[in-house]
Amino acid sequence: MLNEKVSCHEVMNHICDNLGEDLNSPRCVAIKEHLDNCDSCQKYFKSVEDTIQFYKLYNVELPSESHKSLMKKLGLEE
Amino acid sequence: MEEEILIKLAQSGDRKALSEIVKKYEKTIYNFAFKICRNRERAEHTMQETFLSMIKSLDQFTGKSKLSTWLYTVVSNHCLMLMRANKKFENSASFDDDEALIDEKSITDWSVSPDKIMENSELKEILDTAINELPPDYKIVFMLRDVEGLSTEETGEITNLSVAAVKSRLHRARAFLRNKLNGALRYA
Repeated sequence: MLNEKVSCHEVMNHICDNLGEDLNSPRCVAIKEHLDNCDSCQKYFKSVEDTIQFYKLYNVELPSESHKSLMKKLGLEE
Repeated sequence: MEEEILIKLAQSGDRKALSEIVKKYEKTIYNFAFKICRNRERAEHTMQETFLSMIKSLDQFTGKSKLSTWLYTVVSNHCLMLMRANKKFENSASFDDDEALIDEKSITDWSVSPDKIMENSELKEILDTAINELPPDYKIVFMLRDVEGLSTEETGEITNLSVAAVKSRLHRARAFLRNKLNGALRYA
């Protein structure tokens, strides 16, 4: 089973399907092996990871006016 | 003070405890709402509506799920209502084809790394534009699972979707956003 052949297209699909999941099926092992040895798939993997990271790190501060306005609306002003 | 005790105190009418709960979650809820609607005014309105709903239903909170999960459910529903009011997303047929979303021919390194996001307004605009093209259901799933880091099961519970449906939407959202960013960020 470890010699199972997978294509780049399948690996890229698998990345979008299962990023963040820890899977150990024979098919997943074959995919990981392909990924370790394929520059294109490694770049694709990194670009999907970076996509998520971009949105994770893009944060905004809660303006103090918005905080005050919220507490007032809820009747919780200090 | 432990959250469970704070909730019990707030349920019995303790305003200080209620205030503590609101302060604990307001930044998370505001950020989440902003990330969904990409607009500060709408994020503020959604945050207010979420906490008003929380206070209204606090008596019904039994502690079966985490308070954060419950708040994510409320804020997600408010965001979905707002987004569905926007007719732009009535037809999302192009999202039904998984195969079309994987583009093997445009694999390259990117010209900028995620740690530069907060200092680059052009980059923020690219991210805003890309995510605003995602249909509401996909955007919520991507935000809950990948950005907020909730489990697939929790995401399903909040969005009322099966695990398979969460995974399918997540797959398409990741591939779609990756393609959009790839078009803008790859080395020429």
